[in-house]
Amino acid sequence: MYHLDDDEYLNVPYYRKTRSVCPECLEPIDAEVYEENDQIWMKKSCEEHGFFRDKLSSSAKYYKWTHWAIKDKDGRVIWKFDKDGEANPPDCVGEDPRGCPYNCGLCDQHLSTCSLALIDLTNRCNFNCNFCYANVLQSGYLVEPTLEEIDRIMKHFRSKPIPAIAIMFTGGEPTVRKDFPEICKMAKDNGFKEVIVATNGYGFQKKHGGLEWTKKVKEAGLDTLYFQFDGINNVTYEKTRGIKNLMAYKQRVIENCRKAGLDSIVLVATIAKGVTDIEVGNIIQYSIDNVDVVRGITFQPVSLCGRIAYEEREELRITNADVLKKIEEQTGGKISMENAWYPLSTIVEFGRVIAYLADVEPIEFTCHPDCGFASYLVTDPDSGEMMPIMEYFDPLKVIDFANRFWAKIKHKERKPLKLFEDLLGDFGKTLDKGLNFLDKTQLRARFLLGVLQYMKKPGKLMEMFSRLLMRGDWESVSSFSYGALLLSSMHFQDAYNMDLERVKRCIVHFGIAMPDGGVKEISFCTMNSIHRPIIEKQIAKQVTAKVRDEFDTSTGQAIKEIEQEVARNGGINKEEGV
Amino acid sequence: MPEEFVEDKDGMKIRKLTELRTDTDKEYETAMLRRVDEFKEKEKDKSQFNDVLQNTFFKALSTALDLKVQVDKALGEDNLKKLRKAIDDILLLGL
Repeated sequence: MYHLDDDEYLNVPYYRKTRSVCPECLEPIDAEVYEENDQIWMKKSCEEHGFFRDKLSSSAKYYKWTHWAIKDKDGRVIWKFDKDGEANPPDCVGEDPRGCPYNCGLCDQHLSTCSLALIDLTNRCNFNCNFCYANVLQSGYLVEPTLEEIDRIMKHFRSKPIPAIAIMFTGGEPTVRKDFPEICKMAKDNGFKEVIVATNGYGFQKKHGGLEWTKKVKEAGLDTLYFQFDGINNVTYEKTRGIKNLMAYKQRVIENCRKAGLDSIVLVATIAKGVTDIEVGNIIQYSIDNVDVVRGITFQPVSLCGRIAYEEREELRITNADVLKKIEEQTGGKISMENAWYPLSTIVEFGRVIAYLADVEPIEFTCHPDCGFASYLVTDPDSGEMMPIMEYFDPLKVIDFANRFWAKIKHKERKPLKLFEDLLGDFGKTLDKGLNFLDKTQLRARFLLGVLQYMKKPGKLMEMFSRLLMRGDWESVSSFSYGALLLSSMHFQDAYNMDLERVKRCIVHFGIAMPDGGVKEISFCTMNSIHRPIIEKQIAKQVTAKVRDEFDTSTGQAIKEIEQEVARNGGINKEEGV
Repeated sequence: MPEEFVEDKDGMKIRKLTELRTDTDKEYETAMLRRVDEFKEKEKDKSQFNDVLQNTFFKALSTALDLKVQVDKALGEDNLKKLRKAIDDILLLGL
């Protein structure tokens, strides 16, 4: 079971202490994580607001698997999913005595570096989803950084010792900004390898000019759409977004991306109990059917913002384990809960070896195991059927080999060979470079052979995987990912289930340009659950009467322009659908 | 596509998948090779995919891998376990 046959560990009741926040006053408090009736719960008490408990996982066994550790013969932990990452130096001194999460900026308690930088480009949006945290219509003020501020944030993330490789534009709906193509170009100019937009598809779907716009943003540097996609049934969108006939809108996005050659779309499904959880199988099938443009799916169990009674939370709460069960049920057991999934942090040491050997910037997925899971669906060269990548090789063996390999060579990363430089000056330096090159070449060969011995299937995909192991460059990683479908989940925290051990390991960070000229870097979940209202009040811009009269504050389009679009049935008429 | 309709609590019918249709190996390989072509075109001489030496090396490696999979099957589980342990030890030796 869960790759750990005969291991007693899965039968031992789970328990740990941690820190959380009071859902009422948001003050940090102690919390306990424990097992009850094959589920994992968090309980905590605030002196002022009383007792709270919330479900962290509907499957204790799955949860325990994600907290598994390798121990040596003396019982000492030598490897675990739960990592302390290689953090960048802190940006600020933590002055608030309450500590995490009130010293965000980032402070010296943070244990992970940023893998995905986020910039909220606007809180304007052409949709008005009632559960959204960022919406100009609900907040009454506009949050929209200038180009200079956006550039400042990008430089902040790129100038760190371990720079962020990928950037995602969020909102609101980022594509309502008229300067969006310019912002994509700015990201590439700042050195981001992967430029992503989290979008409902607005700019891409327009019947008039949507295709040209899609080509333009691709040309400017946009790599990937992180595309809001709740299912394949119109009725689902009516419930989640309050808009009729939205599937045609979604389909236009896919078609325009296909025509424009923008062939990296990740479908993002917010999973709510009884609303979108019956769509997970449909979404996987839709992705497989659109293999030429869809690269992956991210399932996001809905986080519960605001004050919600325990009974209602019990009704609404959906955890990563629930999503896995739904996937298994709705794919006829093909993607099994017990065998197909690993926490995102699984590949940390593996990634470090590859980055070191290939001299590329490392991607550090040192997030907490509760944050998410991932698997690749790949095609079996024998049967032609898709299956989880775990069928291709023995993952635990590969992980174990990579861990041992990294443990042996990590000192080389900190201290490269330096035998001749002191003796022979510049010539010695060149000799040392040559020696280091030879050393890395032999290490690459060892690592490649070590990993490939655990491969069970041959074929083109494995050839690409070998390239990835040897080269570790963007070409190999990207080409490999085009031959597979990435399935993943990110369960964002709310005040009820917040675990500060997770917060400290967050790898998805917002960058915010502050009025004092600095940049604040804040982890995703604390930004949305704690800091957002305070920060936004500091950076908000007034929505003037002129703007209100002449423009739709959601899309930023002139009222006249919108009327014309709706008349041509190209805009969104929220009453009648699209 | 195997599917059924389910009725939600408001009485609305929703299309629900019951079994995954997954025979798309050719399409995935095509997508991957198209990406390779894109890099070949875009990066020209800088692309590893335009490097004859590397292409030959990885082709040979791929063939060796095919062979290895066959040999693994012939060896049996226990022998394979012992062999892998020995290979691990050799590869980590002296690091």
